Amino acid sequence: MKGKEPKRILATDCGSTTTKAILIEKRGDEYRLIVRGEAPTTVEAPFEDVTKGVLNAVMEVEELSKVKILDGEEIIKTVKDGEGVDFYVSTSSAGGGLQMMVAGVVLTMTAESAARAALGAGAIVMDVIASNDGRLPHQKIERIRNLRPDMILLSGGIDGGTVSHVVELAELIKAADPRPRFGVGYQLPVIYAGNKDAREIILKTLKENTALVVVENIRPVLERENLNPARHKIHDQFMEHVMAHAPGYKTLMTKTDVPIMPTPGAVGLLVETVAKNEKISVIGVDIGGATTDVFSVFQEIFNRTVSANLGMSYSISNVLAESGIANIVRWLPMEIDERDLRNRIRNKMIRPTTIPHTLEDLKIEQAIAREALRLAFEQHKSMAVGLKGIQQERTISDAFSQSMTGETLIDLMGLNLLIGSGGILSHAPRRNQAALMMIDAFLPEGITRLAVDSIFMMPHLGVLSTVHEKSATEVFNKDCLVPLGTCIAPVGEGKEGASVLKMDIDRGNGKVEEHSAKYGEITLIPLGIEEEATVTIHPEKGFDIGDGRGKEIQTTLRGGMVGLILDCRGRPFRLPEDKRKRIASINNWFAATDLYPH
Amino acid sequence: MLLILLVFANQVELKAFDTPNDGGSSITLEWHPDTLFNSYVIFRSVDPEGNFEQICELSDRTTYFDTQVVGGEDYYYRVEARGRESAVSSYIVGPVRAFPQIFNTSRINIAVCIVVLFFAIIYYITRARRGQRLFIRKIPGITAVEEAIGRATEMGKPVLYVPGIMDIDEPETIASMSILGRVAEKTAEYGTPLYVPTSKAMVMSMAQQVVKEASIRVGRPDWFNIDNVRYLTDDQFGYVSAVDGIMVREKPATNFYLGKFYAESLILAETGFSTGAIQIAGTALPDQLPFFVAACDYTLLGEELYAASAYLSQEPVQLGSLKGQDVGKLIFVIVVILGVLDRLVGFDILYNLFNTAQQ
Repeated sequence: MKGKEPKRILATDCGSTTTKAILIEKRGDEYRLIVRGEAPTTVEAPFEDVTKGVLNAVMEVEELSKVKILDGEEIIKTVKDGEGVDFYVSTSSAGGGLQMMVAGVVLTMTAESAARAALGAGAIVMDVIASNDGRLPHQKIERIRNLRPDMILLSGGIDGGTVSHVVELAELIKAADPRPRFGVGYQLPVIYAGNKDAREIILKTLKENTALVVVENIRPVLERENLNPARHKIHDQFMEHVMAHAPGYKTLMTKTDVPIMPTPGAVGLLVETVAKNEKISVIGVDIGGATTDVFSVFQEIFNRTVSANLGMSYSISNVLAESGIANIVRWLPMEIDERDLRNRIRNKMIRPTTIPHTLEDLKIEQAIAREALRLAFEQHKSMAVGLKGIQQERTISDAFSQSMTGETLIDLMGLNLLIGSGGILSHAPRRNQAALMMIDAFLPEGITRLAVDSIFMMPHLGVLSTVHEKSATEVFNKDCLVPLGTCIAPVGEGKEGASVLKMDIDRGNGKVEEHSAKYGEITLIPLGIEEEATVTIHPEKGFDIGDGRGKEIQTTLRGGMVGLILDCRGRPFRLPEDKRKRIASINNWFAATDLYPH
Repeated sequence: MLLILLVFANQVELKAFDTPNDGGSSITLEWHPDTLFNSYVIFRSVDPEGNFEQICELSDRTTYFDTQVVGGEDYYYRVEARGRESAVSSYIVGPVRAFPQIFNTSRINIAVCIVVLFFAIIYYITRARRGQRLFIRKIPGITAVEEAIGRATEMGKPVLYVPGIMDIDEPETIASMSILGRVAEKTAEYGTPLYVPTSKAMVMSMAQQVVKEASIRVGRPDWFNIDNVRYLTDDQFGYVSAVDGIMVREKPATNFYLGKFYAESLILAETGFSTGAIQIAGTALPDQLPFFVAACDYTLLGEELYAASAYLSQEPVQLGSLKGQDVGKLIFVIVVILGVLDRLVGFDILYNLFNTAQQ
């Protein structure tokens, strides 16, 4: 399959509510998105066959593109006489996606690695069982039995390390005798990725009751993680066991040219590919109705977290519960009655498909989105950490600053690209709104490019990248990503109105523009899509753009739908505590970025 | 005759009184100087009519503390001023009696400091008991305890705890026992073996008790193995050799060196490092700290060793004491800085305030 130059590619993503299909075609030397079609997902009753929804979405693509793709219920493979497609790929998150439980010996070591492997493969981690999780054996057994995961990943012990602990975990799984979510007559897939010395005993313990497969240890030594074999096996098991037993997936699997991937796994793969190809640090976020996924690649290490209870419709009340009403109100440019705000949020939860009808509704929804994104990012920072339990080397100079292991990998100053996805970001009435929501939630430092996913086709491109990376990358850059511009956020604190930086912009037209920014302000400088400018930034003493406090930087910045955003509100960012001042500041920032109609 | 009259006219009478702020064993004599005389001879008697005995002769002082007295008895004094050409005697002064004072008023400043410290501690203990969160700076060495034990668990190796080479009367050893309790709890929870070799019999007995209690607290009495907490030898280097032997043979994944250490610190830490163990050390001896810092993963510096038990237990009394003491230390540091500035600009307010403690 790899190496073949396809002319036309069909990709679908079977979501919980909607199945989205896209058609990619080679036009000249480049691959471009041609059309997009969607139809309701049909995994649940009365249809109980996912292929119905897929065929409906593909039929819409056929109608819009005027290209015949279907022959009855079959997809025409290989392009001939202008009909058919060369590849068909698909992702799926229908029926709640892949729900896993992971187990490891120590919560912050092998159990954490197992969680990272599962999350990276696109799963929702329902629970983490560990020897030191504070629960008694019967409680763990009850939990495994009640949760009914699609799959269990069992790890623990380095190679040559503990055997007894990992066998204890296997015995708990055996005692729980968990039943899978889909399918009645098949055994629950369990992947063992732990100490190789314990394999035989694990086989003896779990072989009879589960569909056990053994892969390489995810932590062969404490100093190194080896997640890929476990991730690949999760994908295989997802196909073999979970998808094969979900309604209609058996048929769908015969139609695809590569195995169906879990939707978040495909998005993560794409983010990882982009970071690897461009040699940059990337954060991607996909904020949905029920969950928010955050992906990051720092120091070439990929991490994904899923905040299963943070979203903009089904989980919106949980955002309120976790952030608190005050944190939502702080982003509103007007006074609002707390009870009224709570009611609006609850209404959104019980009517999840409604969209804002008034400008005030929109402002409220975007304020909630800021908090949902911030909370999801906080969770991500605590999960995307270095390995714990490794030996440190010290010198005498470390006496008073003894660094710990397990520090977060997220370095906002080193972040190059921030990608937003999901309705609230991709479909914001103005792109400026998406840009400011992301800036307020993630608080990027230094120089960071911002972009949004135009029509949520990252999952399609992610799975496509496994079979044809060129087409996936080209469509990603040209049709998927909408560049918003570049955010310049100096790190440091100052007095309101004090000078923060001066900037010279050379757009290549022979003129050099001079700009300056004051503390507490946001300034928008237009720089269009596909435009670049050479800028020289002179930060004041005490402010850092990336090379150190007061150090000048010369670089080339890319424009976008929004342009260059000079965020001089300071890092760490603090909103005024006084209500009037806060509202005045928010209104100033919104006006400066032309966020809403006047 | 005229000269003698002049002398008496110039002379201020002798004062004798019980020395204030002492334990009742001294009487103070004071008289005014006179340039006509170059020495003063002091006489004492228990009877105003009786024989006065010379107790000393002074040339350059006008104060004398008579410490050769018995508390509660009456004494009489006179001073004879002697010049080149003349000598005069003072009136007889007495009876004077030495007696002890309940309060040493010259130490009121210390009392004030103690009261401030006392109330600071009480205040913070009360706050901690009410459930308020007291911020205590993160101590990396202590935070890493769980991680270090986790490492041993994953590797299937034991944990080694060395409580120093001194006996149980050393504060460092006592602090070490407190931390041992926490380490034992964690290792028992994880089900990882814990070796505690000691160099003093008393330390062994206490360590056994601490480890046993810890295992019971976390509901794992079966985990406790009395043979793992053992006495090796009192000899400093014999002990070190034995501990090194354990490290090389058993290859513990985590080593703790918490207590009082001398020359053996570097030998232990280097051997532990060579076996690939995570090492957490702590001692109050400044001489040994550089060795531990260089060879260990984490080091508790000086007082951090004592703070560790409060940090680990999160027990209100310990937390409040630690926080209150910190406030006291902060006040003392501020006073020292102000004192230095006070002296630099030529004022003596603070200097005098605290100098009374020296008198």
